[in-house]
Amino acid sequence: MLEVRNLTKVYAAGLLGRRGVVAVDGISFTVEEGEIVSLVGESGSGKTTTAHMILRLLPPTSGQVMFEGQNIWDLRTKKDLKRYWQRVHAIFQDPYAAFNPIYKVDRVLYQAVSLMGNREDSERLMQEALEAVGLRPEEVLGRYPHQLSGGQRQRLMIARCYLLKPKLVVADEPVSMVDASGKAGILKLFLELRDLYGTAVIFITHDLGLAYYISHRILVMHKGKIVEEGTPEKVLDAPQHPYTRKLIADIPLISRRWEDI
Amino acid sequence: MTNTRLIISSVIFLAVLLFGLVGRWVYPIDPISRVGGRLQPPSRQFPLGTDVQGRDVLAQLIHGTGTSLAIGVTAAGIAITIAVLIGVISGYRGGLIDELLMASANIVLTFPAILLLLAVSVFVPVRSPMVVAILIGFTSWPGPARAIRSQIMSLKEREFVFLSRMAGWSDTRIALVDLLPNMMAYVFTSSVVVMSAAMLAEAGLTMIGVGVTKGTSLGVMLFWAQMSDAVRRGLYWLFIPPGGVLTIACASLLLLATALDQFFNPRLRER
Amino acid sequence: MNISSLLAAEDVKAYYASSKGFIRAVDGISLEIDHGDVLGVAGESGCGKSTLGNVLMMNVRPPLRLLGGKVILEGKQDLATMDREEVKARVWGRVIALVPQSALNALVPTRKVGHFIKDVVRYHLGFSTRETMALAKKRFQDLELPVETLTKYPHQLSGGMRQRVVIAVATLLNPKLLIVDEPTTALDVSTQKQVLKLLSHLRTEHIVRAIVFITHDIAILRQIATRIVIMYAGKVVETGPMELILQEPAHPYARGLIHSVLTPEPMVRQRGLLHIVGEPPNLLQPPPGCRFHPRCPHSIPICSQEEPPLIGLGRDHLVACHLTSHSRCWK
Repeated sequence: MLEVRNLTKVYAAGLLGRRGVVAVDGISFTVEEGEIVSLVGESGSGKTTTAHMILRLLPPTSGQVMFEGQNIWDLRTKKDLKRYWQRVHAIFQDPYAAFNPIYKVDRVLYQAVSLMGNREDSERLMQEALEAVGLRPEEVLGRYPHQLSGGQRQRLMIARCYLLKPKLVVADEPVSMVDASGKAGILKLFLELRDLYGTAVIFITHDLGLAYYISHRILVMHKGKIVEEGTPEKVLDAPQHPYTRKLIADIPLISRRWEDI
Repeated sequence: MTNTRLIISSVIFLAVLLFGLVGRWVYPIDPISRVGGRLQPPSRQFPLGTDVQGRDVLAQLIHGTGTSLAIGVTAAGIAITIAVLIGVISGYRGGLIDELLMASANIVLTFPAILLLLAVSVFVPVRSPMVVAILIGFTSWPGPARAIRSQIMSLKEREFVFLSRMAGWSDTRIALVDLLPNMMAYVFTSSVVVMSAAMLAEAGLTMIGVGVTKGTSLGVMLFWAQMSDAVRRGLYWLFIPPGGVLTIACASLLLLATALDQFFNPRLRER
Repeated sequence: MNISSLLAAEDVKAYYASSKGFIRAVDGISLEIDHGDVLGVAGESGCGKSTLGNVLMMNVRPPLRLLGGKVILEGKQDLATMDREEVKARVWGRVIALVPQSALNALVPTRKVGHFIKDVVRYHLGFSTRETMALAKKRFQDLELPVETLTKYPHQLSGGMRQRVVIAVATLLNPKLLIVDEPTTALDVSTQKQVLKLLSHLRTEHIVRAIVFITHDIAILRQIATRIVIMYAGKVVETGPMELILQEPAHPYARGLIHSVLTPEPMVRQRGLLHIVGEPPNLLQPPPGCRFHPRCPHSIPICSQEEPPLIGLGRDHLVACHLTSHSRCWK
């Protein structure tokens, strides 16, 4: 369904753009329908840049992003673009920054509805979406972003997905700013999306624990390249690349204590 | 929310405004015709005395204040409008357009305005207040433009802008609906500061002869005060009133600017 | 109270005064720290654990006020009754040291690290510059920190290195108790391990006798803590030996917290993540009775009426829950 081929992004730096910072270095991978894939990497690994390219927010320096057989950078008309973004949607890390602070939060839902081509039953659909994510319409609608908690804001963002029913959601660190006790609830919503509507999810995260818990496949990124790929068990029990091995060795686990400290 | 600073500065500025706009009906003496002897000190007949051409200084002050304020408002309006247009386009588009616009801003910024005005003064000997206001406006936009540009550049990386882009919104719509309202704080504060600067600029330019040559303004009063060698001769009523009103007006505007800053940015409020 | 305890807090109450009333950040907390302990204080943001850290060393300044309780040092001196200047001069840095959250950002950007050390040591010991630098160098060597960092500016060091430097400097005078607040948040995984190594080293080399480690990260605590205290809404809900609490948390909140830890282990995947509905309460007006009762799946009527006392379940294992005092068979 989604295919990334040799995707590269180089940021020009220096006078006349001679020197370049290679953020993403020729990566390729696929995501099938209904799959949950995690792109794991530390800050600076290029994972967020990759996400922005898949979301068609950032043009690649070279390489293609193919969605359902079509190169997304061939899409030009507004209609085509809107259709793409209805089917490939995003959840961002900072639930506060995802809202324009001077408008009421209802706006994000209206924005999503407009992607579906304005419908008469939009009010009802919005109510249903809110209930699906465990938010009561009365406690959320009509408020400003700073009046809601981080967990509520993130749920509201996910409610957009329940409205749009996209084929693919790119979630960039969706729970890193949520309290420990709230994470499980948010993750469950993603799993529900997949069960109900067959939505595939790409999780962008630094948290290998999250990736292990929820993905079918894990891709480990380091300095712009994919260094490891496989099922969670395979990546954790039999890591091939030295970077992955070091990453795993330094993760604190509940079941054992580090011996070497 | 009571903000002492806001109240005090607004009240003072309002007083200056009323003085300049409404004063002429309370004291309906013509500022440009000769009404008495030359260089008379303040008396009961002429509360602020007369100038070198026998004109009533108080009348001049009233009309001059009104004119200077008008110049300030016009210049600020022009400068901020240009600054917003250029700042938003430059900041949001980036790339070549950004480079070109910022290069032109730099040129305007570093080009000595005095030279420009001297040149203008040669070709346009009779300059009304509006002409001067336009000139000041067209040379004051780079500073605010740059500040607006950098705010836009950081705002456009915020996730809510991504979401608007992914809803298929055009750049113009995003700039108007998403970005600009978030910058109102800066635009307001900036307008007030530019207005204050414009009034001071007019006074300075006119005083040296390259500013207003037609009509009355605070600068014109100072020009004639200087022509009459007022400081050395102790003719205080010629320069203290215009200087004083100018100072009060500008100081209250700047105070207002800091009060607005506090208003828009809760973190700056005193606890 | 154990005579050999290094620091013992008894029913400590510390509130923040705000225009809307008192924010009950630390509301009647008692705990003991023994020599050799690494006491983990775990809880989510807003539970009062950072405030507790400050109160334990009597860093109490308005709007924070100490409203009651004792903090007894080595069974002899109640810090709560001491004059603030005395506490600053005699206790801080010498007996108890605190490394607050984001301490790595506390280094002045325009001064080299060495200068920072000089200021600290001179205030306390009046050493000369040469003596101070010699002390610092030796300590850095002992802790396996590169001595060159002393001549660098903060921005030249990585986040992890700055954190380790701050911890090393805080313990230069060999305080008996070191309190660290979220020392590993915002660091990447490998750096976290280095910081923990340093802390462990401090203890095994007897530079410090005990550590209080405040964090929300249970997996990190697992690596270093000997005992753990779980806080919720300004109160202690459970405390006991690390391993025991991890295996069999008795309090429903403790259970929820520990079972929502997301580490890459088969055990987590099989058990699934527990989700606690709702949000932590407003500390201005906490719920009556047990503060957790509105979110607790097992609450019974008495939970909304009476606050559960901290009761011993076994050796060293204390829980504040009505259910455990009624029976232990609610699992």
